[in-house]
Amino acid sequence: MRLRRSVAKWLVVLGVLHGIVVCAGFFAPYDPAEQDRKSPYLPPMRVHVVDEEGHFHARPFVYAFRLRQGTFDQYEEDAARSYPLRFFVRGARYRLLGILPSRLHLFGAEDLRIYLLGTDAYGRDQLSRLVFGGQVSLLAGLLGAGITLSLGLCIGAVAGYYGGWRDDVLMRVAELFLALPWLYLLFAVRAFLPLTVRPLAAFFLIVAVIGEVGWARPARLVRAVVLSAKERDFVRAARGFGAKDVYLLRWHILPETGSVLLTQAAILVPQYVLAEMTLSFLGLGVPEPVPSWGNLLSSLQQYSVLVSYWWMYLPTLAMVPFFLGYLGLASSLQERGPAYKIERRSLGSLT
Amino acid sequence: MASVLEVQELHVSYRDGEGEERAALAGVSFDLAPGEILGVLGESGSGKSTLATALVRLLAVNGQITRGAVLFEGKNLLRAAPEELREIRGGRISLIFQEPSLALHPTMRAGEQVYQVLAAHGTSGKSALREKTRQIFAMVFPEEAERIARSYPHELSGGQRQRVLIAQAVACGPSVILADEPTASLDPTTQMEILGVFRTLREKLGVAMIFITHNPALLAGFADRVLVLYGGRVVELGPAKVLGEPRHPYTKALFQCVPAGFGGNGNARKARLPAIAGESSVSALPLKGCAYEPRCAERMDVCREREPELLSVNEGHSVSCFKYEK
Repeated sequence: MRLRRSVAKWLVVLGVLHGIVVCAGFFAPYDPAEQDRKSPYLPPMRVHVVDEEGHFHARPFVYAFRLRQGTFDQYEEDAARSYPLRFFVRGARYRLLGILPSRLHLFGAEDLRIYLLGTDAYGRDQLSRLVFGGQVSLLAGLLGAGITLSLGLCIGAVAGYYGGWRDDVLMRVAELFLALPWLYLLFAVRAFLPLTVRPLAAFFLIVAVIGEVGWARPARLVRAVVLSAKERDFVRAARGFGAKDVYLLRWHILPETGSVLLTQAAILVPQYVLAEMTLSFLGLGVPEPVPSWGNLLSSLQQYSVLVSYWWMYLPTLAMVPFFLGYLGLASSLQERGPAYKIERRSLGSLT
Repeated sequence: MASVLEVQELHVSYRDGEGEERAALAGVSFDLAPGEILGVLGESGSGKSTLATALVRLLAVNGQITRGAVLFEGKNLLRAAPEELREIRGGRISLIFQEPSLALHPTMRAGEQVYQVLAAHGTSGKSALREKTRQIFAMVFPEEAERIARSYPHELSGGQRQRVLIAQAVACGPSVILADEPTASLDPTTQMEILGVFRTLREKLGVAMIFITHNPALLAGFADRVLVLYGGRVVELGPAKVLGEPRHPYTKALFQCVPAGFGGNGNARKARLPAIAGESSVSALPLKGCAYEPRCAERMDVCREREPELLSVNEGHSVSCFKYEK
């Protein structure tokens, strides 16, 4: 199967973006849970190349912040000393991909903690939390989409292949699920479960909940493909030679659902990332101190944060390139058509 | 001799777009002796393919067998359990579809496709099945069996694909093969080749065959008996001699539509080929009386009043026409 150029382009974009999140330890300068109580709500530091006297420096640098006279949360740059950015520095310990222990970070500075996206109420580096938070949010999206697609594939295949009352029952249930407001359903399911759960358990809980509510749409699409595929001549011919149902589904029918599933996956992942963010934003998802994109935004529920600290909004921008990447992939996949096209001709009309 | 397949009063109808039932077969009955080749002759819309698919219950989703019985070795296939039916399909009765380019899985090697038929029915181990696949290929393809087994359908010619289908059909040693226009999409030379393959298989394996075609010329010298279908009804059934002396007006007219071939003199070849007047779509069938009546050259008053029954005119030769009513 040859990859079309537009598909490959979006795959590269997504690959780079996910690579950054997967190697969060390297790209994030600090540990996401590490606090710096002396500098809460520090605004993003500016990276300079020209100093106060107008001299150009090849190596970018930052200035430290100091409290403005007479305020308690207003900071200004202290130009007395510049802190040059250093690349490939040794810093906080982390495990790359959860296995490889390392201390290497992409950038950092000596004698100063640099906060390119500012800090939160506990002085934690927002950039590090953003990169690490992506791990939780994207994994939730990908796993959730995986669950949804597996469910949709199984249910759609059964409904389309066997037809009859199974089809009727499954499709009516699917319509019910389509009509449900999924957000409230998530709330309801979440409300049934204990309030305090360990972060890992909470993570799998929301993945399971998100993954299970969305099966109806992919199931309907798979059913449609199966309905047309099972009437193809070579499928009927195989049945005429005594092929078993499982064999027909596995080798003759389900391969044709591949392109539909891929497109659905590319649409579902961003949708589910957003769902995870919504739940975590409302405090129903992964609990602190584990960062997730929804957690990062949850401090915006406080009015003072909402109006005073604009950098707390920045995590919302992070998801834009991811979502664009996924939706771009989805639309270029849709242009592709099925893996193989067989001329559709019904046997009956050729009598 | 006991018949291997017996069809009794088979009625099939299709549901059209408006949900109305349209009859495609109206009471077809015949039997098939072991090792016999029965040629089924009919024009488009006569119910040929419907007959083939109905016998193993593989009708399109909107098709339905409304009445009748299909007795295979004494067992009614229309009442068989799904698993029983699956074992019979491909194992005891094989159906060869008319379009070899569409009837093969496009992304599976030819050898694999034959192997899978064996695997669906066989209980023996993998290596035994592989060996059997090799033998079947060697039987159907005198040359290049190895290469063709390794090819994908798109790498094969029409005749080769048809042979792969035949290999699938005979793989499990069935006692009946239903061949639905197996040569329709092939050129005349290849058609003859494929007929030769069928003939050899009959001699080697003693398999009975229902050979469906619209071309009377193919059946001459090939079929043992011929069944002529018109409008979902049997109009004539008899030994292959029927081709020489047809009794039913439709069969007669049909044979006049076949070119005389290269043996004829120049004038005959230049002459216009006769055509049967009118059209043969099912919707044009009269509500009452003989199905062929609107197009029949020898129609009588009685033809419009009731349906003719199959009458025996000779030993093993029956015709459904009032002309032969005593």
